[in-house]
Amino acid sequence: MEVALLFVVVVVFLLIGVPIAISLGLSSTLFLLWFSDSSLASVAQTLFSAFEGHFTLLAIPFFILASAFMTTGGVAQRIIRFSIACVGHLPGGLAIAGVFACMLFAALSGSSPATVVAIGTIVIAGMRQVGYTKEFAAGVICNAGTLGILIPPSIVMVVYAASVDVSVGRMFLAGVLPGLLAGFMLMTTIYVMARVRNLPRGEWKGWGEVWESGREAGWGLFLIVIILGGIYGGIFTPTEAAAVAAVYAFLIACFVYRDMGPLATQGDGANTSLLRKPWALVTAFFHPDTKRTLFEAGKLTVTLLFVIANALILKHVLTDEQIPQSIANAMLSAGFGPVMFLIVVNVILLIGGQFMEPSGLLVIVAPLVFPIAIQLGIDPIHLGIIMVVNMEIGMITPPVGLNLFVTSGVAGMSMMAVVLAALPFLAVLFVFLIIITYVPWISTVLPNAVMGPEIILK
Amino acid sequence: MQTRHSLTDRIEETLIAAILGLMTAITFANVVARYLFNSNILWALELTVFLFAWLVLLGASYAVKRNAHLGVDAVINLVPAPARRALALVTVALCLLFSLLLLKGAWDYWSVFAELPPTTGRWFPTGLDWGARGQGWYEVESVPMPDMLRFLESWINAGEAYEKLPRAVPYAVLPLSMLLLTLRLAQAGVRIWQGKLDRLVASHEVEEELETIRAQHEGQG
Repeated sequence: MEVALLFVVVVVFLLIGVPIAISLGLSSTLFLLWFSDSSLASVAQTLFSAFEGHFTLLAIPFFILASAFMTTGGVAQRIIRFSIACVGHLPGGLAIAGVFACMLFAALSGSSPATVVAIGTIVIAGMRQVGYTKEFAAGVICNAGTLGILIPPSIVMVVYAASVDVSVGRMFLAGVLPGLLAGFMLMTTIYVMARVRNLPRGEWKGWGEVWESGREAGWGLFLIVIILGGIYGGIFTPTEAAAVAAVYAFLIACFVYRDMGPLATQGDGANTSLLRKPWALVTAFFHPDTKRTLFEAGKLTVTLLFVIANALILKHVLTDEQIPQSIANAMLSAGFGPVMFLIVVNVILLIGGQFMEPSGLLVIVAPLVFPIAIQLGIDPIHLGIIMVVNMEIGMITPPVGLNLFVTSGVAGMSMMAVVLAALPFLAVLFVFLIIITYVPWISTVLPNAVMGPEIILK
Repeated sequence: MQTRHSLTDRIEETLIAAILGLMTAITFANVVARYLFNSNILWALELTVFLFAWLVLLGASYAVKRNAHLGVDAVINLVPAPARRALALVTVALCLLFSLLLLKGAWDYWSVFAELPPTTGRWFPTGLDWGARGQGWYEVESVPMPDMLRFLESWINAGEAYEKLPRAVPYAVLPLSMLLLTLRLAQAGVRIWQGKLDRLVASHEVEEELETIRAQHEGQG
């Protein structure tokens, strides 16, 4: 009963505009003071142990930093050029290339809104120039952008892994097939629509262009090889892989792409060669661009992690009170099976995902539903993927999905117009959600094949 | 949008950038040490974790100043301006309650490690507990004691030498950050009262980028 009150308080705080972090922290603190004998000192200790006791979370700032370095310059542009070279000649080619670019970009950045901003600003304008309607362009990018949190590396997955103690490596691998499937489903839909509506196609520029643009984009895309290869090759821990990726991204951005740092040229001219300015090897570390990128990544880390640290106080409350266990028992005795349970999880996340930033939502919901899922015999990795896909869809579900909002800004359209534009593709992603929810094989086959079958401790 | 950069802004921004840079450098150095020199920097992980906590906890007050804390703005966007102001004032009051409670908690937790008296009282500090047993001798697990902090030995460890860093040092960020958070929230409260600000939250991480793009659209249109 008291716990129902706790959740009501959290929701009320959230709705009146209290920051997510403080909503969670304050309501848990009040709960502890009222209903248990914990002291305020122990709450402060829990807050600090969010960092001290969860080494997995340490990967988040480094992933954010890596993607900040990767997105400062023309990486998005290079990826888009490569995508167009590969699939631009198909019917609806530019739209398909947009989806493909979002998938590739998602592999560099762990965030959906960031993917929409980076790819959308370029592709939506480009699509309108060759004759697509603004609505079609916005609908495509809005949906494809959600792949950002499904295709590894994904910050949301790190958050899930940290809050329920599963392996980050497994979660990343589990996201690969569903990510490819979602992208493929979107592309096929566009292809069919293009055939029916006779949408424009680009021209095939030959393998030379594919090779040339692929080599350019490859420097950036190699990041994902470092991360995944490093983790699965047993070379790094996920945290170390993220830090190495951040350093790699810095080197690529400063010395290979030279879009930032001492070698960047303002305006149209070619960027300076390192040979002509060798001292840049030293000055790059102190260049204002480097500092700004570090700062922006730091700021994002602060806002995300402050939410997570406070959510861990809430988790502490839930575990102490054995809430998930009692809900699980209630569900089991009421005759709820896994199917019913997953539907409930779907609905909660679809609603919540509209209002809230995905990591924040996940860190609240995961500790609550995870023990229930384990009791019902649902695979923890599969549950994670279901939750991530749900939040993807929450972001594009009207009326207030986050990606809808971001797209309306990027495309300069009203919210209502974007909602309508996104609907056909939203239907595709819904089908995708149903497939993911009821076919666990898609999520679990890769991690089990690469890392061996999983041991589930109840 | 605030574009003026005061000295405090620059200090805070540099600090955030520097801590993140240092965390990355230490973790990277540890990987290099392991594969090139076949040795581990034993204290690398623990030090990175402490820096991480410092980054986030100190950054929280900066995020208040910049309105960067994530939140839900669906409802506050719907209500008329006077109601929004009222909600914002309630919000600030709740946030202040949080930061003050945590300030007390943080002090109580940290003071013991620093041989200082914790406060008495469950909700609010009602006095100082001089009888509490200090734990100034308590050390962290692996970060060694730097010589420049040796003065702490006579301060909180009865003159005995520390081998590792005393816990009081990394945990000092708790009371410090909660104090800063309280101050920044109070400032935000004043701005809301004066009508210069109508909310404490941002709904997503790319809000600033979107502003820029919107401005470009308007420029073209």
